Amino acid sequence: MDIGNIKKHSDLNFEVAQAKKNALEKMRSRQLMAYNERLFTADANTMNLVSTLKQHNKDFYVLDVNDNPCHIKDPDDFLNKLIERNQETLNSYQQLHQDLANKRK
Amino acid sequence: MKTGVLLYCFDTPELNYHRLAERCVEQIRKYLKLEITIVTNLETFKKFRPLGMINYKLVENSTTNTRPYRGKSVAWYNKERALAYEHSPYDTTILMDCDYFVFSSTLLELANTKFDMMLHDRVHDLTGKNMILGKDESTLPLVWATVTLFKKTENTKAIFSMIRHVQEYYPHYKNLYRIRYINYRNDYAFAIALHQLNLGNCIPTPMTMLADSVDVIDSDGDGIVFKHGDDVMFTSGQDVHVMDKEWCNG
Repeated sequence: MDIGNIKKHSDLNFEVAQAKKNALEKMRSRQLMAYNERLFTADANTMNLVSTLKQHNKDFYVLDVNDNPCHIKDPDDFLNKLIERNQETLNSYQQLHQDLANKRK
Repeated sequence: MKTGVLLYCFDTPELNYHRLAERCVEQIRKYLKLEITIVTNLETFKKFRPLGMINYKLVENSTTNTRPYRGKSVAWYNKERALAYEHSPYDTTILMDCDYFVFSSTLLELANTKFDMMLHDRVHDLTGKNMILGKDESTLPLVWATVTLFKKTENTKAIFSMIRHVQEYYPHYKNLYRIRYINYRNDYAFAIALHQLNLGNCIPTPMTMLADSVDVIDSDGDGIVFKHGDDVMFTSGQDVHVMDKEWCNG
């Protein structure tokens, strides 16, 4: 591969990597979710925590992103909302990821 | 509890901020669907095209500040923002620069939570070239006043009183916190006030930004296309602070 092609390859990789970073930031931003006047991220950690705690108690406390406690009185409702938001953002990210993969071919 | 958006918009001899505000209003209507109040002066007010239901508050603004923009020093009318607590008619206010464009409903999620004041403490440069932040700009934990959510509480009242105090004695605080930037900047005044009062929450995700050397070359209601050097990229569905002040001039 000559240097011109290597540069083109490098430019494309930079562009794809940056597009991926931007899409991830967008996804994290869209995962922010208000619940009971507290702020949560609809990510794997929050879903796992809620899923685990709900197996032991009917209601419980969790910390929001600003370390404020939130009383979860209806764990099923909260978990459903977390999953819905999480999957909505991941579907959107998956589409962009696929576009980027096609661009690299 | 009433939630609304408060914008400050003053045209300067060099830049048509009212054009940015017009576009900003379109985006707010599409994604946030909230009531909007624009604080402006009479001269700028006369230039606005009819925007439908908007509350205008006319003030005589201070005209003593400047900023560097694309290699020039230009007028910068940014001191009225310290009066946002008094100017806002809302219980929960989203105070926003008119060069911040919403392409999502994320701010609504933030507004529906409990806090006194919430703003960004990190930025994400969409070009990936990290052109926004300099090194060792101050000894202060920096925040960005571009988007500031606040509720009318005693704590917030104290924060805005402190911001006005910092503005009045800015040279002192500038020395105290070893701020390199020469002119008065709201980001620093807000950061100093929050630091002094030990208050405020940070928005957990960074503010996406485009530096003033990046040109916006196209846009629609869902996103924008931007160019830096030979690189052309786009963003959609993501709120963005655009420092190119001329892209809405047509």
